Amino acid sequence: MSSSFLDRQNTVAGPGFDRFMVPPAALAVHLCIGQAYAFSTFNLPLTRLIGLTQSAAGDWNLKDVGWIFSIAIVFLGSSAAIFGRWVESVGPRKSMFVAALCFAGGFLVSAVGIHLHQLWIIYLGYGVLGGCGLGIGYISPVSTLIKWFPDRPGMATGMAIMGFGGGALIAAPLSVILMKHFTTATSNGVLETFVTMGVIYFMFMMIGVISVRVPAEGWKPAGWVPSAHPMKLVTTANVSVDVAWRTPQFWLLWGVLCMNVTAGIGVLGQASPMIQEMFSGKVTTTAAAGFVGLISLFNMIGRFFWASTSDYIGRRNTYMVFFLLGILLYSLVPTFGHMGSTPLFVAAFCIILSMYGGGFATIPAYLRDIFGTFQVGAIHGRLLTAWSVAGVLGPVLVNYIRQYQIDNGVPKAQAYSVTMYIMCGLLLIGFLCNLAMREVKAKYYYQAGAAAGSKA
Amino acid sequence: MKARLVLLWLAVGTPLLWGTYKTLENALKLFQ
Repeated sequence: MSSSFLDRQNTVAGPGFDRFMVPPAALAVHLCIGQAYAFSTFNLPLTRLIGLTQSAAGDWNLKDVGWIFSIAIVFLGSSAAIFGRWVESVGPRKSMFVAALCFAGGFLVSAVGIHLHQLWIIYLGYGVLGGCGLGIGYISPVSTLIKWFPDRPGMATGMAIMGFGGGALIAAPLSVILMKHFTTATSNGVLETFVTMGVIYFMFMMIGVISVRVPAEGWKPAGWVPSAHPMKLVTTANVSVDVAWRTPQFWLLWGVLCMNVTAGIGVLGQASPMIQEMFSGKVTTTAAAGFVGLISLFNMIGRFFWASTSDYIGRRNTYMVFFLLGILLYSLVPTFGHMGSTPLFVAAFCIILSMYGGGFATIPAYLRDIFGTFQVGAIHGRLLTAWSVAGVLGPVLVNYIRQYQIDNGVPKAQAYSVTMYIMCGLLLIGFLCNLAMREVKAKYYYQAGAAAGSKA
Repeated sequence: MKARLVLLWLAVGTPLLWGTYKTLENALKLFQ
């Protein structure tokens, strides 16, 4: 594969190109990198590399293995922020290719770490290298999709980001099947699974690399005319990435994303023990695993549903729904627990998790509305640092407050009540950030030729 | 172009549907 094939100028679509070729190209990348959400399927097997069926002397402990995922998420946010402008300048094909190299390479380097039984090599492989693949891969198709679908940016980016949620649904059963297939008397199959997944994911991401195209300069969908009176909070101007992050709007959106993610991510990680403890004796471990599957499904569906809905009701209104409905549902969860109503509890969390996914999927279109299309991918990259912060804040809030409650004599079934009310508080902060959103002042607009920037 | 479009959607849709089916299968245990 020559380097010229990857260059932006060789990805410009010719006449007659169907723009609906681009969402599956983006999905090919996001379905792979979404594997990160299912990494926990490897946690226990990684603690049994020597003992095989149970941990033996010299095996890694669960706490240290847990750091692999945390490092990957930190590098996801950091690399998206650092390489966002590079992704904008080189275009989607080269950035998807680099993402594939990093993500698949992360698996292969980690396989070496498993072979040598050196955990730091896995930190470096899946955590650092794979994390960079996650960050670059996550933002690489966003700007392109927004340019292909100026009439429905929410739906387009929602479709791609839905792939990130869907990736976990594929990776979880796939990992289990592969590990089972490769298990022998001397191996629990993790090493072979890492190598296989690295190869499969690289090949699958190549589908995206080969298929993706950028629209020609000035291209518009047939018959589409930009509205002479755009909706409130939808700009026709552009703001560069270096200016955008100095505006209050960027930090308000950062707060919106951070609060929405924090409220969902802690619950997602603790869903299984939470439902078992709140409905002690009524919900088995198997049923709890079903609950985790169900909310993961709603997390994925919500990405497409809410982002598409935002094209009709507006981005700010969509987040208003997330925050107000979220506050209502979180405040009702303890009541549902006291009532012993599992169906109401499950329904509430399905809606909450759909809005968690919807928050991720709607933010690129919100950024486009506020800052224009010029460097929206790079701005999105910087905003994803909110995800890294929420990734730490959410689980800490849920786990530590629960433990604090239990240590102070609160029954396990009621230990989550305070956490739920704190989530309401976080959502209220997000609501206020969203309420304060205004259009960017004209002094921040990008003037062509006034500063060096990337090609649109 | 149409055939390529269908192939591309099949390529990404098939694993996504498989994953959704496996998850749904698991989720149904909640109601058993």
